[in-house]
Amino acid sequence: MNPLRPRKSRHNSNYLYLLPAFIFYILFILYPLSDTVYTSFTQWSGIGEKTWVGLENYKNNLSDKKITSSIKHSFILIIFYSFFPIIIGLGIAGMMVRIKVKGMAIYRAILFLPQILSMIVVGIAWRWIYAPKGPLNSGLDFFGLNDISRAWLGSFDFALIAVGLIGTWVMFGFTMILFIAGVQKIPKELYDAAKVDGAGAFAEFFNVTLPGLKGEIVVALVFTVTLALRNFDLIYITTGGGPGTSTMIPSMFIYKKAFQMNQVGSASSLGVMLTLLIFTLISLIIITLREKR
Amino acid sequence: MRKLFIILSSLFITTGLNAETLRILAEAGDEATLTRAAEQFEQANPGVTVEASYLGWDDFMATIKLKLSDNNPPDLAHGNQGFTVDGTLIQNGLVIPLDKYADQYGWKKSFADGALAEFSWSKDGSTWGSGTLYGISPVAEDVIVYYNKSKLSALGLSVPTNFAEFENALATAKNAGELPIMLGGADGWPIIHVWGIIEGAFVDPEQTRSWIFNASGNRYDTPSRIKAASKLEEMVKAGYFGSDSLGIGYDDANAMFADGEGVFNLTGTWATAQLNEGMGDNVGAFAMPRSSSGVAGGGSFALPWHISSKSSNPDLAAKFIAHLMSTEFVDDLMEVGRVPAQSPTIDPTSNLQAEVIAASNALVGSNAKTFYTDWATPGMYDTVTQELQKLLGGAASAQDFIDAMAAESKN
Repeated sequence: MNPLRPRKSRHNSNYLYLLPAFIFYILFILYPLSDTVYTSFTQWSGIGEKTWVGLENYKNNLSDKKITSSIKHSFILIIFYSFFPIIIGLGIAGMMVRIKVKGMAIYRAILFLPQILSMIVVGIAWRWIYAPKGPLNSGLDFFGLNDISRAWLGSFDFALIAVGLIGTWVMFGFTMILFIAGVQKIPKELYDAAKVDGAGAFAEFFNVTLPGLKGEIVVALVFTVTLALRNFDLIYITTGGGPGTSTMIPSMFIYKKAFQMNQVGSASSLGVMLTLLIFTLISLIIITLREKR
Repeated sequence: MRKLFIILSSLFITTGLNAETLRILAEAGDEATLTRAAEQFEQANPGVTVEASYLGWDDFMATIKLKLSDNNPPDLAHGNQGFTVDGTLIQNGLVIPLDKYADQYGWKKSFADGALAEFSWSKDGSTWGSGTLYGISPVAEDVIVYYNKSKLSALGLSVPTNFAEFENALATAKNAGELPIMLGGADGWPIIHVWGIIEGAFVDPEQTRSWIFNASGNRYDTPSRIKAASKLEEMVKAGYFGSDSLGIGYDDANAMFADGEGVFNLTGTWATAQLNEGMGDNVGAFAMPRSSSGVAGGGSFALPWHISSKSSNPDLAAKFIAHLMSTEFVDDLMEVGRVPAQSPTIDPTSNLQAEVIAASNALVGSNAKTFYTDWATPGMYDTVTQELQKLLGGAASAQDFIDAMAAESKN
């Protein structure tokens, strides 16, 4: 027996230390979750008796065109909330490796700022930026681009893109910080070796920086994809799902069904479906990109 | 021991007989009204304390059913007309019938027959529009036309007396480079009020009201309603709402209108105080003239007052409602800028309020208030706002709108 290692305790009493946290976990996570799953099989107005309806709610959700199209919107938002920020974040991290700028910490802080703002604040600010007479349109008009300027959040063609770009703006600070931190743990020798081998900026990025950031990319993907799918506040503040249903996403339907339409059972089933969707996607990401041992 | 007994029993007597707390939960728009009423009520009823709390519209509507199903609910609370809130409250026995109090305080005598239909339900809450009285309100809310006086006269126009004249005014304004109608369509619901006015101009108000009370039992796609929808589409295509209306929120639209943008603003009488403050004597109001004769528009009473079925003192709660409904309180309502449902005795506080009350009286006189489209079914709010946004954005035709609405009516 190694005298330096403490003897493994055979006392189950150690588990008692977990008890307080576990009770909280049951009360605030497991119980609501299982209650939601149960409610999803019932018809319930929010008060009064629940009526068991089996898989009815799930079938109705899948055959409701508005809901299926809202899921499609979510997948489009993944491009803006996840892919764009990761590409921008990687680009910035790749540049930092080669270029040293004075006062970098200040730039980093400024670029990270959107991430720490409340989504409500972000939403209201961008509502103003995108407004028919807001700064964006004023800028376009100033350069004589009057044909392009429009009510961005009120446009059936552009509202989803406009909201998506807000997501990009919010998220790229997060990916950037993550990747810059990641780059610093890549051994300097690898960069020196690349230089010796005559690698240019691009070869260095694809052969050293990118592989070295694989773990961070998985983290960024998991975090941003989850946010894109369960995002609610930004849409609620900026467009409310409109115009028409052009920016409607599943979480808006959950809210509307539960609080406007008295369909808490149906709202729960949609919530369960959204959870399963997120869980499946995240699992796929982790399994595909898992570091090989 | 004896001393303690005396103290305790005297405490019990005072709390039991005199001290009484009336707990009220209200939508925030009623704060000025209730602050005034509570003060008067406490003075008239020594020992009574009124404890009112307020929630903004969205929060209020999202939580009111839960608050009233709580074990310790407020004695008195707002509801909202329609199946979504009032219907659910009645179905679950959370609020009590008010017929007894209506007889006691004479509420029914103050209004024409059928005027209180929007507060009347079957006992099981399954049918709406007649039966037992479950709520009441002292305030009227109407959807009318506000207009910029100097702009209208600069265009050489006067207040339209029929719908064709209104259309002519829109065309004239458009040709002169003015925005004919200021509309904050980004929020969705303000378009319901525009639709209510156009619908009212073509569809018999009685027909619209019957449909709202019983959407699945009444035909939606009637020829007159198709005509109204086509008219709205025509107005959109003519550019009468401008090109940006779907990007403008309701509050911003009113602020822009007050700043001199737009000739007309089709909205509810709740905007009176705000527009009066922003525009003074430059803003006027009228009820929309119909295509045939008379006037029409959306509108109803304000949110209904309900008494909780768990209230420990429903008689006191009813007494408070009676205070709000009393003829003495009508003038107070005027002073806080509301439109009372009963005739006031004092003069209007502003030129605009005078015109608003005249418009409101005209609507009541022709029995032409058509409520709000979104009352019809729990899913109607979503359907009508989305479909109207599509119509306004050119993403759907009048026929698409009618079809979608007819389908939702069956739900």
